[in-house]
Amino acid sequence: MKSGLQSEVFEGFASAARSISNPELEKWKGGGGKVLGYTCSFVPEELIVAAGLMPFRIRGTGSLTAESANEYFEAANVCSFIRHTFDQVLQGRYDFLDGAVIGGGCDANRHIYDNWQKSPVKPQFLETIFFPHASGEPMALEFRGQLAGLKTKIEQHFGAEITDEKLRSAVRLCNETRSLQRDLYALRQSANPPITGGETVEVMVAGSSMPKERYNTMLRTLLEELRGATVPERKIGARIMIVGPGHDDTSMCDIVEELGGLVAADLTCFGGKVIFGSVQEEGPDPLQAIADYQVLARPFCPKNLGAHPHIQKELLDQVRALRVDGVIGQSFLCCNMWGGELYILHKELKEAGIPMLRLEREYVSGSSGQLQTRVQAFLETISGGGSC
Amino acid sequence: MTLPAASQPADAYAQLKSEFGSMTAASFQGRMAEYVASGTPIVAGTDDFFPELFTAMEVPFYFVVRQGLELAFHVGKGPEAVDGYNELGGSSSLCSLQKAAAYLLMKGRLPKPSAIVMTSTSCDGQTAVNEMMANYAPWSDVPKMSFDASFEKDEASMEYLGKQWMRFIPLVEKATGRKFDLDRLKEVCEESNRQTRLLFDFQELRRAVPSPVRAEWGFLAYMAARWSGCGRPLATAWLQRLFDTTERRVRDGKGIDGVEEKIRYAWFDILPCWSDQLFPRLERELGAVNLMDLYGYSAPWPVIDTSTLETIFTSFAKRFLIGNPMTRQIFALSTVYGGDAVHIAKNFKCDAILMPSHVGHKDGAASHRVVHDLFREIGVPFLVVGCDVFDERYMTSDVVFNKIEAFFDTSGLRR
Repeated sequence: MKSGLQSEVFEGFASAARSISNPELEKWKGGGGKVLGYTCSFVPEELIVAAGLMPFRIRGTGSLTAESANEYFEAANVCSFIRHTFDQVLQGRYDFLDGAVIGGGCDANRHIYDNWQKSPVKPQFLETIFFPHASGEPMALEFRGQLAGLKTKIEQHFGAEITDEKLRSAVRLCNETRSLQRDLYALRQSANPPITGGETVEVMVAGSSMPKERYNTMLRTLLEELRGATVPERKIGARIMIVGPGHDDTSMCDIVEELGGLVAADLTCFGGKVIFGSVQEEGPDPLQAIADYQVLARPFCPKNLGAHPHIQKELLDQVRALRVDGVIGQSFLCCNMWGGELYILHKELKEAGIPMLRLEREYVSGSSGQLQTRVQAFLETISGGGSC
Repeated sequence: MTLPAASQPADAYAQLKSEFGSMTAASFQGRMAEYVASGTPIVAGTDDFFPELFTAMEVPFYFVVRQGLELAFHVGKGPEAVDGYNELGGSSSLCSLQKAAAYLLMKGRLPKPSAIVMTSTSCDGQTAVNEMMANYAPWSDVPKMSFDASFEKDEASMEYLGKQWMRFIPLVEKATGRKFDLDRLKEVCEESNRQTRLLFDFQELRRAVPSPVRAEWGFLAYMAARWSGCGRPLATAWLQRLFDTTERRVRDGKGIDGVEEKIRYAWFDILPCWSDQLFPRLERELGAVNLMDLYGYSAPWPVIDTSTLETIFTSFAKRFLIGNPMTRQIFALSTVYGGDAVHIAKNFKCDAILMPSHVGHKDGAASHRVVHDLFREIGVPFLVVGCDVFDERYMTSDVVFNKIEAFFDTSGLRR
């Protein structure tokens, strides 16, 4: 199912999401701008923006085989998202980066840092920060300390002074991005939304792949176009919500939507999890505000002890608000955290009478026939009123 | 006092093993059924954070994931528990020990604790099991506390964790009715310091050529000091006897009885549940002796500073993050994991290192290149096995033997 969306702005987002480099990024680099890559949504883009750098979230887009990365990460034991992403690093696809910050989210992710350091493509600036794995004020204070350390390193390496005023300005800019993205998500509340789930993923992925100001401008334009669009009448089957880790491609949405469903919502690391709430713009310490946001406001990563009730509440709220008929929980093979989380969710949703399909998949297999068959069966089950 | 070699009982190690069994039977773990029957309050945790506290308070404690060993793999029911977990629809990615523990939890086979302590740990799978336990409906009324360990290893990071952990004392008091006594904790910590010193001294003896004992003795010594007898004089005396007995063997230049040592290697992971099928055969057919495993390796352990309650808990944090096997290597950069393996290879004069690459150890699996490069630098052959140290069905001990044998052949080590 396609929304029929015809928009030059959207095409800009789509091309950014479907490849690693994109015209907006190249324009930024061409103008002498520097780019700092990062992994994991807990690395605050605000800090990078405040240094005058462009944040770019590193992903595995375009990878077909992780052969080179498999020399660093054992294939049978490490998730394919990490391996394909690192393979793209080894292939030189990220040579445009002026540095990278590796977020210590999951075990495999943080080892990108060690392995990148040992690789022949090590960037001049390579740092790692580790996120608290429990939520509370002492943890937010601890994370602030880590951010302060990272801030100093960025300042020293890039010769940039990150003042509180620059941080506040970056917070406002990134909050605006989140706000616009929430507006985009809100459009999918309608019975016949002007944008599909797959298209939304592309807009979201583009958000961490191009300069923020430019992205916000483009997204405002897109939102105006969508609000004024005449959406052709379509027969939409089940409304689906996707939950899981960082899927940066549209494959699962494409399967659902090609089968007549609609992905109405998601709680994933490139989607719904990054637009939750806002960083406090006022207050004496913007760095603490950023730390509070990451540690206290959005503890949705199953790596956090005690994350499950937050994930469950957010998911159920969205299921009700967006009239979701069923949930697809997808994780990558070897992902312990999401594998465990989806197991708990599955039991609870079953008790709540909400159909849920759990899938463990590889990063590069999104359109495989097997997945399609399982999703099709799930959608048919929902239509029949049953539960998988 | 050291006895002369002639008077050393031939079965000294059999005697030590028998005593170890008695010590285990008398430990918190060994008496768990008795506690359950008598309604004694129990504390459950998601790792071995501060066993000294529980010894000092005489509060029975169990480590949830370890129950997969105690109640499943060690009693021949591991595969059944793993299959049961799979039938419940659990995630395929967890390690088989965690699967067994999760199964026991979900089937109501773990003793219901009066309090639960959780801390971010070395492994994502552990976190997943923590979360299952925290959200297990029949235990929803059990008070729980979650703590965060910093990835950094500086003093401030240790204080950060130690201060959090101190908040657990009032909860334990309230949940179990036991009174906390700082002086008693100090006594236990001093005893624990003696034990970890003995662990290290015993390890030093194990560097001898030929190796005086099998690697399993390192593991048993760890278990005595950190699990069954932490902070208890009985375990200290046992460790002292183990040291003395082994010292005599080293002095006499004795290797393992009945083994002609030809190849010295380390198995750098947990000793498999199917060790009996693998290691004796390697000794018998290839003269290959295992010198070390991950839990038998003492780094050494940081000493507990008993000056104040704060220094004690900061020391607990250091022990957990710098001393505790697996946490030390995995809650760290790959260079720590690799560095320890290299340290073992050099100091124990290993001819080769075997990295079992247990299917659950994703962190280690993300470090192989780093470790491989380190070994290339020092010229020690290195094999990634790729097995499951708990569930032999993944790769049988015969297949593992064949891989190791071929590796020794191609490395020119077989002689």
